[in-house]
Amino acid sequence: MYLFDLGKLPGQQSMLIFHALARMGVEALVIVSPKSPLASIGYFQDAEREIDLSFCRENGISCMRREVGGGATYLDENQIFYQLIWKKSNPRFPVEMRQIFEGLSIPACETYGKFGIEASFRLENDIVTREGKKIAGEGGGDIGDCMVFVGGILLDFNYEVMSKILMVPDEKFRDKVYKSMEENVTTMKRELGDIPPREEVVQTLIREHEKLIGTLQPAELDNRLVERMKTLEKWFTSDRFLFKKTRKIPKGIKIKGGVEIRYGIHKAKGGLIRTVEELQEEKISEIGISGDFQFYPKDDLASMEVELRKTEFEEGKVRNKIQQFYEEHRIQAPGVMPEDFTTAIIQSQSEGAE
Amino acid sequence: MEVEGYQFPDDLYYDKEHYWCRVEGNVVVMGTTDFAQKMAGDIVYAQLPLIGKSVNQGKPCGALESGKWVGRIYAVISGKVVEVNEELDDSPELINQGPYDRGWMFKVEPSNLEQELKNLMQGDDLVQFVKSEIIRVAAER
Repeated sequence: MYLFDLGKLPGQQSMLIFHALARMGVEALVIVSPKSPLASIGYFQDAEREIDLSFCRENGISCMRREVGGGATYLDENQIFYQLIWKKSNPRFPVEMRQIFEGLSIPACETYGKFGIEASFRLENDIVTREGKKIAGEGGGDIGDCMVFVGGILLDFNYEVMSKILMVPDEKFRDKVYKSMEENVTTMKRELGDIPPREEVVQTLIREHEKLIGTLQPAELDNRLVERMKTLEKWFTSDRFLFKKTRKIPKGIKIKGGVEIRYGIHKAKGGLIRTVEELQEEKISEIGISGDFQFYPKDDLASMEVELRKTEFEEGKVRNKIQQFYEEHRIQAPGVMPEDFTTAIIQSQSEGAE
Repeated sequence: MEVEGYQFPDDLYYDKEHYWCRVEGNVVVMGTTDFAQKMAGDIVYAQLPLIGKSVNQGKPCGALESGKWVGRIYAVISGKVVEVNEELDDSPELINQGPYDRGWMFKVEPSNLEQELKNLMQGDDLVQFVKSEIIRVAAER
């Protein structure tokens, strides 16, 4: 198995490399960082629904669809990607999804550990710290006759730019995404107070992978590989591939496994209701409700938001909570019934994305 | 038949990519196996081939996503796609719930059925293959 320790490559090339190697059937570990920033969407995502393409254009951030799963993400030079490519028939590697993610996350977890950050794999395919904060996201896929597993060590992370590349319904939602990411996603810099030298992290990551998959043979980009990447680049950057329409309708932004920001829009008789809710482990951890409806006593809308916290994200439970609040506070909201708020919160996330 | 807890209906033909096909008159129905859906976990998206498209035996013709993994859908038999299971657009979980019935994926008008069926497994061949796959998974655990 080869080792491509590539340092920093232009944004798209840093992702094209694993797509090319997999198509060529070359088993390898690639360690690379994008020299220039990149917005990357998962294979099933719709670029126009997920990414603020104007913001990316104006800020020199290129966009690319990848052939592995997961959601939209922002990549830059402060992330070190590990990309493992192996042939499906290679018995050294697992075939069950859970085994793949859990087993192949070990080198990244151990690398964090060597720098004093206790990290472990958690289902939903994140690496999290002892405090439960996400410190790496991972994804994978079948490409050609190979399987590919990718993840990234976060030296540092630009939360602000990440929240800006995402297509969101309004600034309130964007602000919520930003704050939730700050609370739930961490980096080596935040954990250690400083960014450790990149090369030390890279060498540790390589050593930890070798413990798992055996000694790696150093290799460099050769003409054949570069040519393959150039050919692929034409397809990956083509409008036909990038703007491919998919059935995946965004319902919110996933911050990490178990934490998600969702939005809802519902047109009630009495006006438009907008909601932004943060869900943690299937419960509403925070919610904001706005719109052009009337609600008396006016201050009680904020109280209703507080009341909804910790409610399970389940239609009956949300409806009961709102119904009870209406009765106890003698709410007057012409044309806006508890059912309308329930619909906005529970059911209309996809309408909001249309 | 059941192989160590995984269901494999006797009337189907199977390939080594863990897909099955059933001959129904002039068309062939395809989908993935109980073993494969369990290995994949919860399937959240399915991209099926378009109606009218030609697919080739053993070649990828679509994709599935489960838990941030994008897997390929392979054609078990060559031919022209004549129908796809549109229910999977909104309910890909049907593949997990019923891989051999409501989770079927697409139907083709076969172009070389008799010959290609010989490349597929049934009976003892299938049992041997599935058992070897189960041993591989168990070894990882």
